[in-house]
Amino acid sequence: MTRLTDIICVFRIQLAGMRRDVGAFLLAALIFPSATYIFANAVGGSGGAPSQNRLRFLAGSIVFSLSLTSISWLGYLLLENRFTGRLKLFATLPLAPSSYVFGVLIFALAQAALGTTALLLVGRALGVEVHPNFPLLALVIVLTIFCLCGLGVVIAARARSFSQGSLLTDTLGAGLVFLAPVYYAPEMMPRGLSFFAQFLPTTFAARALQTTLAGGHAIGGELIALSLTAVAALTLGFRLMKWREE
Amino acid sequence: MTATIENLSATEIEYTSAAPATAGVQAPCDPAVSTRCLVKRYRDGTEANRGIDLDVRRGEVVAILGPNGAGKTTFLRQLTTELKPTSGSISVFGVDAIAEPDRARRLMGITPQEAGVFETLTVQEHFELFARLKRLSKREAREGAREVIAELGLSNEIHKRVGALSGGQRRRILIGLALLGRPPLLILDEPTTGLDPSSRCAVWGVIRRAVADGATVILSTHYLEEAERLSDRIGVIKSGSLIALGTLEELLERVNRSYRLSYRDPFDPAGDLRVRHYSSFAQAQQHIARELLTEYSIARATLQDVYFALTGEPFDQDETEVSEVTR
Repeated sequence: MTRLTDIICVFRIQLAGMRRDVGAFLLAALIFPSATYIFANAVGGSGGAPSQNRLRFLAGSIVFSLSLTSISWLGYLLLENRFTGRLKLFATLPLAPSSYVFGVLIFALAQAALGTTALLLVGRALGVEVHPNFPLLALVIVLTIFCLCGLGVVIAARARSFSQGSLLTDTLGAGLVFLAPVYYAPEMMPRGLSFFAQFLPTTFAARALQTTLAGGHAIGGELIALSLTAVAALTLGFRLMKWREE
Repeated sequence: MTATIENLSATEIEYTSAAPATAGVQAPCDPAVSTRCLVKRYRDGTEANRGIDLDVRRGEVVAILGPNGAGKTTFLRQLTTELKPTSGSISVFGVDAIAEPDRARRLMGITPQEAGVFETLTVQEHFELFARLKRLSKREAREGAREVIAELGLSNEIHKRVGALSGGQRRRILIGLALLGRPPLLILDEPTTGLDPSSRCAVWGVIRRAVADGATVILSTHYLEEAERLSDRIGVIKSGSLIALGTLEELLERVNRSYRLSYRDPFDPAGDLRVRHYSSFAQAQQHIARELLTEYSIARATLQDVYFALTGEPFDQDETEVSEVTR
């Protein structure tokens, strides 16, 4: 119970921060991935793109939005907390570092829910036919957020400076999307990169989202891969996020 | 209600309202804080603390002074469990703070030196949420927040965003967060640095009230006046070692600097003000007669004089310290 209270308080503290930046957040979460969708659609064959491609582009845009939310912005938030001394304030409390990370994760999930809903509405407005299985879609989003947030936590905990960390989160937030077969088919990638890209969490997330948005259920492999990556990334993140210095 | 220390919960070990205000109060045998042979060696080999032994009595205020880089903050960070010592022991109300840092931290209110506030929260939200994180119930958090906000003189700002407050007000918030839940031990790392004189006085008032309610306080400061006014005992850390600890009188006695003679050289009236110290008033007078001084003053020595004697670093840059102590 105490732990839950701690997590909720951390969530509320982060949420209060968003009050000021809600406009900028919506703009970034919506405009950037939507623009990428439109760009991919245009490059992939203008208005004549087959529905499968449109679905891939929409799934790709959702993954892009999730990646921006969890690595770039969440990472930035964690870095900001660390390098402006706010983390020290948490460290003075009887608060477990894991409760802090979970509070921030829930905040990222709330952002992800907002961003994904907005993108689905945009997709619908642009004529993409989706038949999502919502519980499965939610599961994929949660696992994807956990995977990517884990990476954000690792960077935020290990970065030597704010600028170094922020550069890494920005690079990884976009890089993990464009280095994975998210907007295009794996066969279009150079062979070496294609081998490497098949293990990226964004690859599993895009594939799972695409299947789920099309109304499919056969994403067991992707869910397992995302779960394992999430456990690994979060375990590492929790280990590195410590109040106590050696 | 006199709290019991045995069960070691901060909400239960509140200030003992019946406790007298200052040092000497308590005589339970266990000190509030005790460190033994505390050593902190960083990875680069720097030895920031070299075997510090310190006992802080319950209800006492101990100020830690020292030049920049002397190891004051490293020492306090080890007390607050933020930094793990290389060797030695720390006991906080009988709790081994190295083996059980979480349990020890529950007994403390901490103001770190360089902590940041959450600028988008209102003052009330900031206090209430952090009170909840200190395990207070909703009602206690609300009441405790209002109480501390009033104590800090921030009642008019209660609904303002923290980001809209002045630097001094933000610093007061950090001190107030340490007071939430009335922990029996306050560790304040340079609590008034950067505050204007009136804010500093307000903070002193808050600390005094906490002490009057039975709290034990360990603070580091760069303001000698703060140390003199607030503390029962003063510790001086230099090059990682606690080189002196005692009341001001004890420290003055230790360095044989009871009287301070400030004078101008009669043959160089435009020169700098010079300072000498004597262990007795008569000796100072003898010097005045011998040197035919015409422009001089004799005063009781201050913490500044002790600080110079111990660290070799003057605080007042307008004076030329003649580093000679005449017995």
